[in-house]
Amino acid sequence: MTGEASKAQDIFQDTLREAAFLVANREPPADRYWFFREARWRCLDVVAQGVQPEHAANESTELSPKAPEQIEQLEPEQLAIWISAAPEPQRSALALYYLDEFNYREMMSMLGLKLTDLSRAIASGRREFQAWLNTTVPAAASE
Amino acid sequence: MKRLSRGLRTLADCAPIANAKAPDRRMRTAVSRAKRTEDFAAQQSFDRAVAKLVQATPVSTEIQEWFANERMAEGAKRSWKKTALHPAILAIGIALVVIAVVAWITFDEQMHAFPGTATAKKLLNVAAMTRPSEFEPMETEAGTLNDLFFMKYRLEHYDVPPEFSQQRTIGVRVFDDDEAGQVAQISLAEKRMQLFLFPARRDSKSGKPEEFEGWRYIEQEGWTGAVQARKGVLFMAAVRGPKKDLAPYLTTKPQLR
Repeated sequence: MTGEASKAQDIFQDTLREAAFLVANREPPADRYWFFREARWRCLDVVAQGVQPEHAANESTELSPKAPEQIEQLEPEQLAIWISAAPEPQRSALALYYLDEFNYREMMSMLGLKLTDLSRAIASGRREFQAWLNTTVPAAASE
Repeated sequence: MKRLSRGLRTLADCAPIANAKAPDRRMRTAVSRAKRTEDFAAQQSFDRAVAKLVQATPVSTEIQEWFANERMAEGAKRSWKKTALHPAILAIGIALVVIAVVAWITFDEQMHAFPGTATAKKLLNVAAMTRPSEFEPMETEAGTLNDLFFMKYRLEHYDVPPEFSQQRTIGVRVFDDDEAGQVAQISLAEKRMQLFLFPARRDSKSGKPEEFEGWRYIEQEGWTGAVQARKGVLFMAAVRGPKKDLAPYLTTKPQLR
């Protein structure tokens, strides 16, 4: 989310420090999602202070049956870059969704989103990623 | 997914990627309906492929070290002892105990209350505050004072019970009290004890004096009283001290309260 490992490490450590502080004050985090929420807000704060990407309207298209084959040709870093360039809260929603560790209720809790907003972010993310795939891996798309 | 309702389509867009169990019934319904559509099959294939790519994302050794001990991310578990000693829990517990004690005391008082309890307690305060000089000197046996009360004050049945009739008196007075009516107060030589005689409370409907059987103890600010009802008059022996100071004088065992 930050685009830099050093920033991410700082945020990670700050989050743990905050958790330790809360525990010392006998107010430990209520659940493990607290860490994700806290770390996310810290990431957003750091990102907001840095250079902002230009957000242009991304093209979108319906999902292709060939999409799995197109995706197989990608490097993981390409996907990470694409997701990190997405606007909030779509970026966080896609990151959490594709980690495949949380259900929709947990994601809503962590992101502070309503179901319709979460659904919209994921669905539009799919279509935009498909459009990007069609551009990036055209050979597979045209088969 | 055009055949799905908007609500189900919203849920299906967030459907679990793996074949993990859906978190609730709504999601299970949405997935079940969505599976009948071709779009959902394409969505699942797409999502699985992306998730597979995410799983394949290399994690640097440095980052792996951050999570070497995953237990650190778990919320602290409180033992029942820590929970019990939490100030809020402790305060609630103490408050509940105090409420229970007060409720028990009130219940106990109600169970053992007798007609005239409030007046008798008030007269215990009078006993504590009366100075010796306020009494008219009278050295005689307490049992003989009924004639004085009847002849001088027209107080009928103001008789000292046999348990105290042999006691020597050092003073006596009669006064009017707003609540108790005409009260006879006798000061004894022994243990600076005081005796009270005052009218029993009357039933508001029948007009008859409300009486009770035997002796009843009351306590008020270090003073103890033993009360008996007879012929529409309440008798109270009051002493500064505990119940045991009065007990030897009473031939019949009083009901403890």
